[in-house]
Amino acid sequence: MNRALPEMLHCLNTSVGNLAGNCTDLTVLDRQRTRIKWQQEQFQQQQQQQQQQNYFASQGQQLQGLINGDLRLDQVVTRSLKVDPGLENGWPDYGKFPLPKTGFCEESTGFESAGYLNGSAFEMNYAISRTASCPPAVAEAVAAVADGKGKESIVTEKLSSAVGKESFKKRKADKAQNSKVVAEDDSRDKRIKGCAEEEDSKMTEQNSSKNNSSSNSKNNNNNRENSGDTSKENSKVSEVQKPDYIHVRARRGQATDSHSLAERVRREKISERMKYLQDLVPGCNKITGKAGMLDEIINYVQSLQRQVEFLSMKLAAVNPRLDFNIDNFFAKEVFPACTASFPTLGATSSEMANPALLQLNQLQQVISCCGLEMGMINPPDMGLRRTTSAPVSFPENFLDTSYFNQIQPSTTWDADLQNLFGVDIHQGRSTPFPSQPFTDNYES
Amino acid sequence: MENPESVSRESKTKKRRKTLNDDQTQSISNNMKWRTEAEQQIYSSKLFEALRQVRRNNSPAEANHRPRGRVVREAADRVLAVAAKGRTRWSRAILTSRLRLRFKKVRKQKVTGGGRLRKVEVRKENKGITVLQRKVRVLGRLVPGCRKLSFPNLLEETTDYIAALEMQVRAMTALTQLLTGGAGGLAAPVDQLQSNLTSPT
Repeated sequence: MNRALPEMLHCLNTSVGNLAGNCTDLTVLDRQRTRIKWQQEQFQQQQQQQQQQNYFASQGQQLQGLINGDLRLDQVVTRSLKVDPGLENGWPDYGKFPLPKTGFCEESTGFESAGYLNGSAFEMNYAISRTASCPPAVAEAVAAVADGKGKESIVTEKLSSAVGKESFKKRKADKAQNSKVVAEDDSRDKRIKGCAEEEDSKMTEQNSSKNNSSSNSKNNNNNRENSGDTSKENSKVSEVQKPDYIHVRARRGQATDSHSLAERVRREKISERMKYLQDLVPGCNKITGKAGMLDEIINYVQSLQRQVEFLSMKLAAVNPRLDFNIDNFFAKEVFPACTASFPTLGATSSEMANPALLQLNQLQQVISCCGLEMGMINPPDMGLRRTTSAPVSFPENFLDTSYFNQIQPSTTWDADLQNLFGVDIHQGRSTPFPSQPFTDNYES
Repeated sequence: MENPESVSRESKTKKRRKTLNDDQTQSISNNMKWRTEAEQQIYSSKLFEALRQVRRNNSPAEANHRPRGRVVREAADRVLAVAAKGRTRWSRAILTSRLRLRFKKVRKQKVTGGGRLRKVEVRKENKGITVLQRKVRVLGRLVPGCRKLSFPNLLEETTDYIAALEMQVRAMTALTQLLTGGAGGLAAPVDQLQSNLTSPT
């Protein structure tokens, strides 16, 4: 990278010479002066690496603000020009130099002016002698334009030449920033203000980190801004800082605004869940569109609830039979049928029936305990917590009080089933209820 | 230099995608749970006991205060909510509302059944509430405890609620068949009951 610099210097000199020869009155003295100043500046730049980095960040931000149209190019140029009246003769031509290149391509203009404005923005903050940095920047911008690729790298490298890797990373990140200039409209004012106030390094780093993350996260697959290669390079530099964002990729041809991204995520969530519902609700396959689907869903839920209501009324009608008939009912009616089918099951299935039956019994115990919970006096919070988080704990608490109450009605039920299936229920039940069976049941 | 960063970026996006997939798989598995036989068995047995409990509670005191259908309905809903193991919002809402009703002894028709009969008519001139928004609100009122829920979450709750309701209907149908069936109809439901007992999967 640094090796490129001398070449650029040569370019600079030749171009300066050419341009000077072409259209300006730059004397040899002026040229020498610029050269010396440039060398001085190089030295100073090396001394002030850190500051430059931060300023580069801020410059990048300001650059974006400028690009976004807050300041016109002319204003910037004139501002920079006024800083060094001595070289004013040469500058207007330099100032006009990038502009004719607008026809090159849309993006490159941004980049050129990026380089140019970077240099000029630098001037505003630095000493006047730094104006000499402009011609190299311009020349390099020219050279970069001529190259057609990696122009930003040249610009960045020029502006902070002898720096380490972290700054390189940061520069590349800012390069990404520069390339994504057009996309970031909202925080434009913030950036300009930050630059103008010359905020300290932390703030700039934060801002740039935010911008980096957001821009890098939106970087990929966006074909609007960049040629493919540079965008890939930019995107890969990502995440030097780590904010806790949800990283979403913008797809091709889609807006990269943070709002629209969030909206897209939300829309995708909604459509995904609508798809589930479509599978669940019968007859929804033909219907597209949220409104129609919602209608169908509402109808379906209402019909299900009506069914439940109807069935519950039916059960209620049946209910009187439940209580006083329960012993007789199952003993008389179910018993013969079951015993008839019982031999067909065979010995193995009886063993299968046992644990299932035990399970059923234990479940019934649990149910009765749960049912009792309604009658017990409990603070609602506790009850809620018990019901939702640990239904298992019900039986443990209520077991002592309710266990013996529950034995009598359940005994008959178990007795009948015992008769039915020939299982020794009492053995299973007489053991003081450990909580494990309940957990097993609830975990199933 | 680029590789670890790109890997970290990839992993971050993958992490987001993975959580999304985890949610998906979890909701799918939850829905599938409502369709299993085991759940239905558990629910049936629980419901049965709850009904007996209701019967026992009702006979001494308040048999005439509330229509029996209503009581049964509430019991069924409550048992369904318990079967949901508190994972979903509507189940928690059902249980909470029951408790609140019990302890405050206020006869408030809060939950599902009564609400759906009243639909707020909003004229179309009021463009603040769009048609879609209106429907979302109706759906929110249908699912218990989901009135002020965001649309995606509401859809998720609705998915689970529909699955649970379907299971409830199946179980109650079987139960009523079992209980109300005559001698002829007994054979089929009894076999069903037996198959439920013998094949607990």
